[in-house]
Amino acid sequence: MKLLEISHLKKSFGDLEVLRDISMDVSEGEVVAILGPSGSGKSTFLRCATMLETMDAGSMKYVGESAVTDTNGKAVYADKGTLHKLKNTFGLVFQNFNLFPHYNVMKNITDAPISVQKRNKSEVEAEAKELLAKVGLEGKEDYYPCQLSGGQQQRVAIARALAMNPKMIFFDEPTSALDPEITAGVLKVLRQLAEEKMTMIIVTHEINFARKVADRVVFMDEGVIVEQGRPEDVIDHPKNERTKAFLQKMA
Amino acid sequence: MKKHMKKIILLLAAISMLAGLLIGCGNQKQATSDRKTFIVGFDAEFPPYGYKDDDGEYIGFDLDLAEEVCNRNGWTLKKQPIDWDSKDMELKTGAIDCIWNGFTINGRESGYTWSKAYIDNSQVVIVRSDSDIKKLSDLKDKVMVVQADSSALAAFTGGDATDENKDLYNSFKDFQQVSDYNSAFMNLEAGSVDAICMDYGVAKFQVEQRGDDFVMLDERVSSEQYGIGFKLGNTELRDQVQDALDKMEEDGTFAKIAKEWGLEDSICLGEKGTDSAYLQDYDESAHQSMITKVAEIIQQLSKGMLASLAIFVLTLIFSLPLGLLICTIRRSKFKLLEIIAKIYISIMRGTPLMLQLLVVFFGPYYVFHVSVSAGFRFYAVIIGFSMNYAAYFAEIFRAGIEGIPKGQYEAADVLGYTRTQTFWKIIFPQMVKHVLPPVTNEIITLVKDTSLAFALAYTEMFTLAKQVAAAQASIMPLFVAGIFYYVFNFIVAFIMGSLEKKLAYYE
Repeated sequence: MKLLEISHLKKSFGDLEVLRDISMDVSEGEVVAILGPSGSGKSTFLRCATMLETMDAGSMKYVGESAVTDTNGKAVYADKGTLHKLKNTFGLVFQNFNLFPHYNVMKNITDAPISVQKRNKSEVEAEAKELLAKVGLEGKEDYYPCQLSGGQQQRVAIARALAMNPKMIFFDEPTSALDPEITAGVLKVLRQLAEEKMTMIIVTHEINFARKVADRVVFMDEGVIVEQGRPEDVIDHPKNERTKAFLQKMA
Repeated sequence: MKKHMKKIILLLAAISMLAGLLIGCGNQKQATSDRKTFIVGFDAEFPPYGYKDDDGEYIGFDLDLAEEVCNRNGWTLKKQPIDWDSKDMELKTGAIDCIWNGFTINGRESGYTWSKAYIDNSQVVIVRSDSDIKKLSDLKDKVMVVQADSSALAAFTGGDATDENKDLYNSFKDFQQVSDYNSAFMNLEAGSVDAICMDYGVAKFQVEQRGDDFVMLDERVSSEQYGIGFKLGNTELRDQVQDALDKMEEDGTFAKIAKEWGLEDSICLGEKGTDSAYLQDYDESAHQSMITKVAEIIQQLSKGMLASLAIFVLTLIFSLPLGLLICTIRRSKFKLLEIIAKIYISIMRGTPLMLQLLVVFFGPYYVFHVSVSAGFRFYAVIIGFSMNYAAYFAEIFRAGIEGIPKGQYEAADVLGYTRTQTFWKIIFPQMVKHVLPPVTNEIITLVKDTSLAFALAYTEMFTLAKQVAAAQASIMPLFVAGIFYYVFNFIVAFIMGSLEKKLAYYE
């Protein structure tokens, strides 16, 4: 089943054309890693896919339902109620976590399920404890974000996204704000999620991680998808010159 | 506990320093023998005795007399307009040499060293021409206004008030005090008071100036005498001035100047019975103990303290939410709303609060010709203060909200929070933490700003302190008022400090 279907997505900031024509489908259980040099448009793509930015043209469906339709080359968004419902199908983990500093770890994870999804409080809290154990932070319920390291904060952010029971999760460079020695903990959690067949779209600079975890690697540059396929093809035997140059620089 | 001790010691140290400063000021003596200048203190709004003319010059009968006295003694006259409520401080500290300004002797005999009386004056009542008040007994159940610390006030409430005047006073519906005659007339015109009581000479002048809208009742409230008031015990200077005046009386200069000002009917210099205050001895033993005095002052000021507290609390209750509302409008996506909020904030921050209070109070009359009731005074104070402070709070809140990272909105958006939920759950609590220090600043300013309510003749603490200070010819009430504000702000700062600490659990 297709969870995400994007076709002919275009986005400009003023005169600058950031995304030229991008189409991408993601199936249930698939892990997609998006690679590319800075300025290639991969973050903007992720922000359009999560509706933090509006696209100029193209269409987008979540779980088979239309969020954006293309009418005469212009992107038309669905009504508020539909969008609100569809937002519930995915989660997003930010580069700099964006935890709520005035809430403790427990409340960061449980507040949205309780006050947005109107779920039962004790049930959500029990689930939150399991999630904390899963991301290796058991016993940190009462800590505030400022008392945690960056890696721990990012794992709380992942637990927060998971608590909404999304069908897929987007990750926007989840480790690039972290020191190299603490990225391991975050990557371990992602690997574990992949094994559990969580659908994930990850923008990343970690080539080795992408190779090990991703089902598909997408290489983007200058607002277009240059090359995509299995990691062993794209990363180890790139066909395109730009992909080769990028991988060489990263190595 | 230890921390609190430190704070209390700090507080006491500050108070005693303030005390030392104030008491120290009161004890200065000043030599008068080789005098070159003669500084006359006068209320610049008291025609024809002393006032500012259309060219901005200070002129008047008393100032002409003073000029002539200076010429005869070889002094230079310095005309010093003063705030009437502060006249005793001005005199005590030597900032002025005398009060010479239609200054009523009656009731103040022991407060000053006096010249002989030179003007006999009476207290009369002014009403609107269309009023049904024709005689004093018609004033029953009406609202009367007088100038603060004026002879009219003394005639009704002073220690020497006659029984008839006391009865009359008790029959009023309300009895108010304003700081100057201009606002008394504004009140009378606007209908918030029914009658003004004032000196005959002033009344005659005012009615002539203001035309047919006002009339003077024939019946009089009391008669009284004017003299020149010197600092208690300063007989040397008083005698020099009196000698000159006596000579002016003998050679007809005095009568001539009086005629120029249309006061020839009121002069009494040299007549029998004009020198009783002049002849009295200075008695230093009539001093109460400090503690009784302070206790008495605190009791007198307590009503004003409550009034100040009420202004403070109500202003906060209304201005904080109003500020948040204006902040929201200011941040609105609709350009028109944003511009309206911007203009509002700009006017509220760009004009004096005192002026805004006057507009709120008198505006309804001048714009819609609705008469304003006396009871509106307090509401006007609260409305004016709240509107003004809301503008400041709105800008503080805006800075607080804009300081919150965009990522917080994005995280809330992705988690599905509605805009309202995002604001109240995520943004508002963080904003509160950001804005506490600047809000504390504003609140401390508000404590002191409550004294501006005097502009609408609302008797809060500082107005009362000035009145009591004038009545007792002592600076002690002002000193007590200072302590009140300091302690008040000390508590405010303490509470806000604890609140800040409470919110310091996150960064």
